[in-house]
Amino acid sequence: MTPLQNALGCLLALGAAYYLWRPSASLFKNAALLAGALALFVGYSYGIGDEEFYPFRMFALCLCFSTTSLRKDRRRFLCLAQIFWFWIEFFGSLSLYYRGFDFAWTRLIAIAGLAFCSAFLSRISKGMEFCLMVFWIAVWIFF
Amino acid sequence: MSKILRLLGLFLLLPGLVALCASMQVGPASWYEGTNVFWGTPICLFVSWISLAHAGTLLSAVFLALGVRLDRRTALLAELSTLCSLCLAVMLPLVQLGVAEKVPSALTFMESSDGITHLGSPLFWDFCCIVVYGVLSFLFFHNHISSRNNPAQVIIRKPFAWLLLPLVLWVQSVVSLDFASTFFPEWQGAFFPIYFVVAAVYCGLALVNSLLCAEGYRVRLLEKMTAAGSWFVCVFWIWEFLTKGIFFSGVFVFAGVLPQLLWVSAVRNSRIGRFLVSLSILLGFFLERLYLISPEKGCLPFFGVVDVGLVSFTIGFFLLFYFGMRRSIGCFLDEEGTFFGDVDGSEMEADISATEKFDKENETVYVHPFTSEEFRTIRLPLLLGILAMLLFVLWEMNLSQSKPTLIEILPLTFPIVALVAGIALWIRSGVFREIPRRVLFVIMAFCILMSAISAIFFTVFSKDESEKVNGAGVSAVSMESRSIEIHEMLPERNNLVDVESEQSVGEEK
Repeated sequence: MTPLQNALGCLLALGAAYYLWRPSASLFKNAALLAGALALFVGYSYGIGDEEFYPFRMFALCLCFSTTSLRKDRRRFLCLAQIFWFWIEFFGSLSLYYRGFDFAWTRLIAIAGLAFCSAFLSRISKGMEFCLMVFWIAVWIFF
Repeated sequence: MSKILRLLGLFLLLPGLVALCASMQVGPASWYEGTNVFWGTPICLFVSWISLAHAGTLLSAVFLALGVRLDRRTALLAELSTLCSLCLAVMLPLVQLGVAEKVPSALTFMESSDGITHLGSPLFWDFCCIVVYGVLSFLFFHNHISSRNNPAQVIIRKPFAWLLLPLVLWVQSVVSLDFASTFFPEWQGAFFPIYFVVAAVYCGLALVNSLLCAEGYRVRLLEKMTAAGSWFVCVFWIWEFLTKGIFFSGVFVFAGVLPQLLWVSAVRNSRIGRFLVSLSILLGFFLERLYLISPEKGCLPFFGVVDVGLVSFTIGFFLLFYFGMRRSIGCFLDEEGTFFGDVDGSEMEADISATEKFDKENETVYVHPFTSEEFRTIRLPLLLGILAMLLFVLWEMNLSQSKPTLIEILPLTFPIVALVAGIALWIRSGVFREIPRRVLFVIMAFCILMSAISAIFFTVFSKDESEKVNGAGVSAVSMESRSIEIHEMLPERNNLVDVESEQSVGEEK
């Protein structure tokens, strides 16, 4: 993927994350938004030609972005979302490894490092939220 | 109702046992199998029951870890269904072997030429992960039961839940690698792990909903999650159709379309309606597993008597085992003061309001990182688990004869951490204080004996091929040298004989 395609995908994930976990939203509304976001990511990935792995990576990134708007237990869900991203990357890479693709070690190490360091975060300020989003975008576009 | 289901289980189990015997007698030819992979109905049933085994851990451990309220009886029943499904699933790969003579070698991993199975095989990862999952699920269930009499053991429930949460994802992902690491384009792909996990969670919800219907109760949260889960599964199948051109209408109808009937209040409020919807989900995913194994054949026209018998065996075994165990733990489920699902609304409301008040009081209390009570409980066991994992990795990569790569060892790392941490946590809960000393001594002696036997067994039989060849070569050389020595000795022997004969001739003269 080119950095431009990655950047556009990142924007889509950010846009979808904006609507998730609103205080007044019910379980069904959140589930419908998640399913719709996944369908949108599938469509985008189909357009750029990597529909196998890319939609799920975008989904994980979307969940990471969405945790910044939570009001309770933000650190816990932040770590969980990053672990979920790591899980998708790890087992997806492992599946593709058997087809001859390289293992994306740098990306995995970067995500694991972010998840581990996030666990040490104290009260997450707006500035810290912004830093986290920058790190995620950097990992997404350049790794 | 429980008695009727036990009888039904017995009724299904008996012909199932006949089919099982026929299967072991005749071998793989007796059941439906994929033409390219020689995996058949037993593997299909194995994957199905492993998926269903996620019900208990999901609902009990994950909900506990994320702070979602679930009543105690539903959690216990869900955990019990996990254990019963796992016991059943473990037997099925042995049936897949086809002949009874292969079972001992499979149990001891004596498959490859050097006596130890290949560490990089997803099948080996599968076995290890499922064993760890079974052990920890059992310990979690035991802790849940024993905390009734000993409230001090409640302290390890949440840390245990945090260990089980990633393990659920890990186990199902490793099972998916059995398929994703092969050479069939329908199976290959990075999507397989996440699809397997979502499907497992969805099937697990359907199983627990059906068991609750059998109990005569309902949990509305689980019904909502089932309806919401069906949307994700539909998106997956649409995605699979767009990318790989694979679409199986039977699966889509049974597990994707029919669950939307839960939106109809007449179906949702009817016990039979909810049960039938759950059953359709389970049927849909069973058909999906069959299709997964052999897409070119379709399913039902090739489904024979032995296949039906094997399905009957698994269902009958589960019903008998589950409701039999349900009867034995009934005292924990039927005591006063524990509400069940949405039935006893008044007590549940009072309980919720008390809990919510407690939560509101604690909202203002900020918990610093790594200072929560859960973390303080689990940190030492987790450290032990990480140390054990590092020792294992170092030993395998440096001292083992097979010298696997890091990627081949990675799938085993977290299960080792979870196993050691879970056992350490369980020991820490003080459960051993309740066991008599004599019994404890016997258990420890048994564990030490089994470890010693396993170590001796693998040490004696795990010889490298080169050592075998060298050993044969060395013995051949030694035989040669020995024969040369004998041959060299022979002239001396001959001389001695000549001298003796001359002496005897001389004496005669």
